[in-house]
Amino acid sequence: MRGEKQEDSAQIQGISPIWNWRTTFICAALLLLVGLLAISFGPIHLHFGEIIKTLLGMHGGLSGQDRTVLIDLRLPRALLAALVGAALATSGAVYQSVFRNPLADPYLLGAASGAGLGATIAITNAHGDVYSLLPIFSFIGGTLAVLTSFFISGKFFAEPQSLLLSGIAVGSFATAIQTYLQQRHSSSLRPVYSWILGELTVANWQIVTWSSIYILISLGVLISISKQLDGLMLSDEESFSLGINPNRLRMIAVAAATLATATAVSASGLIGFVGIVVPHLVRGITHRVTNRNLLTVALAGAAFLVLADLGARTLLSPAELPIGVITAFVGAPFFLVVLRRRRTL
Amino acid sequence: MMISVRNLDLTINGKTILNDISLDIQPALWSCLVGPNGAGKTTFLKVLLGSAPYSGSVKSDGVEVFRNHKRNVAFVPQQPQIPQGISVSEYVALGRSKRDGWGNESSQSREFIAKVLEQTNLYGMQRQQISQLSGGEMQRTLIARALAQEPDLILLDEPTSALDLHHQIEVLNNLQFLQKQGVTIISTMHDITLAAMYADRIIVMQEGRVLADGASSEIIHSPELRTAFDNRINVYTLDSGRPVVIARKDEKDEG
Repeated sequence: MRGEKQEDSAQIQGISPIWNWRTTFICAALLLLVGLLAISFGPIHLHFGEIIKTLLGMHGGLSGQDRTVLIDLRLPRALLAALVGAALATSGAVYQSVFRNPLADPYLLGAASGAGLGATIAITNAHGDVYSLLPIFSFIGGTLAVLTSFFISGKFFAEPQSLLLSGIAVGSFATAIQTYLQQRHSSSLRPVYSWILGELTVANWQIVTWSSIYILISLGVLISISKQLDGLMLSDEESFSLGINPNRLRMIAVAAATLATATAVSASGLIGFVGIVVPHLVRGITHRVTNRNLLTVALAGAAFLVLADLGARTLLSPAELPIGVITAFVGAPFFLVVLRRRRTL
Repeated sequence: MMISVRNLDLTINGKTILNDISLDIQPALWSCLVGPNGAGKTTFLKVLLGSAPYSGSVKSDGVEVFRNHKRNVAFVPQQPQIPQGISVSEYVALGRSKRDGWGNESSQSREFIAKVLEQTNLYGMQRQQISQLSGGEMQRTLIARALAQEPDLILLDEPTSALDLHHQIEVLNNLQFLQKQGVTIISTMHDITLAAMYADRIIVMQEGRVLADGASSEIIHSPELRTAFDNRINVYTLDSGRPVVIARKDEKDEG
């Protein structure tokens, strides 16, 4: 009896769903590691020790051309990859919990295609530098696409399946208009096209600065409401009884996730599957579906995209693969696995 | 928790759902809403929760319910959301968030959750996935989630509809135990026999109105109860004095 009792109390401890910070630290360490690898590898190999000394402003760091490669090329590129990866992964996780659908992601809801259309409209009609305004245009395009998906699907949040279908239709429509605009304005065909393929080659400190502002703000909002988001697993009346206003919470979550997606899209073009692969990996490893893991998802997403970008730069070196190709290569089979295992996820 | 409802009206898209309801609900009593489908019972529960907009006045301890954020009211829906990938204990633990704050379960809460799981006969199943539960187990999990909230008032929409007879009695006994500890219970129930057995008070509703309202033992024999169900029920009294309500198959059968 006594033994049974002890086992019982061990199980009571097992009841605690308190988030395990160990995974968060592991993801942070992983991000640092792949970040260091990413800025070290390339046509010119830079040594870890010298990189660290340079970054810390210590004596004996890199100089001359090596320093320029590090500071002006690789560092902003790795940072942008991390920001975009964090944004896409976190918004994917949030869309999945708000729409109660494990397959929801920024691309399936039309947010990314809408954002792409918004950015294309900005580029094709631009006079001068529009890059700092791209997130705004992308955000408007992305929001309009998500709202259209809602209205076409009829009920707000109630019918996840029809919402996903209408999201796909709206996304295709936005892509069609975008292609039309692109062809009409052939002078801007090249920049739009290379941007759509998803690339981080254009990364510079200016793009890193403005995208970090939008992305960090929206991630901050999402992580601050992450614990309440768990309440959306219940029916609306139940979450209301626990002090949540479910519709307002969904609005805030969708707005912040759409801003993060739009900024990511405007900074780096369309990079698919990050929003599905990363949250599911984190859930699979931790055996938890709770949204308390959003910070971990963000860190893991950042590490994933930095690694994917390293692959894009080095696999066919000196040529470069579009990063979207790498993420799709990993993501599409993963998506199918999730689809098959859906009942257990 | 004293609740007083005055001239409550609720209209959705021009359709009257609740029509001029006025009544008081005393604390620590079990009140049961009965009536045919579409009578407005579920909507009335939502109004009492404070989540549905209404006109008129619905006060809980003197404050309008939609403004009274301090009160601790639990709601058990008839059709639950069934989230994927969450275990029974994690689901029940969500009920603690009102007391502990979201994501900050205290160790007392964990002990309390274990107690609630035991009370609802779910102990040993805590690691099982919600999506793999049977209808009856899910219903008990819903009630466990509500109990974890340690509410002053518990609103239940058809709490026994998914349960077999054995579990119906178990769940209702659980609720009766809570009531004895001072919790106010308001439920809807299709099984009027069970309602009469457990509830102190029965409120008969039809088309958004309250037809009759009073002690269970009186209401069960009232003509208004028959009217609410278009005279398609018969009420018998067993030798033990317990009333039994049975649906009538057809008018002709009655002879």
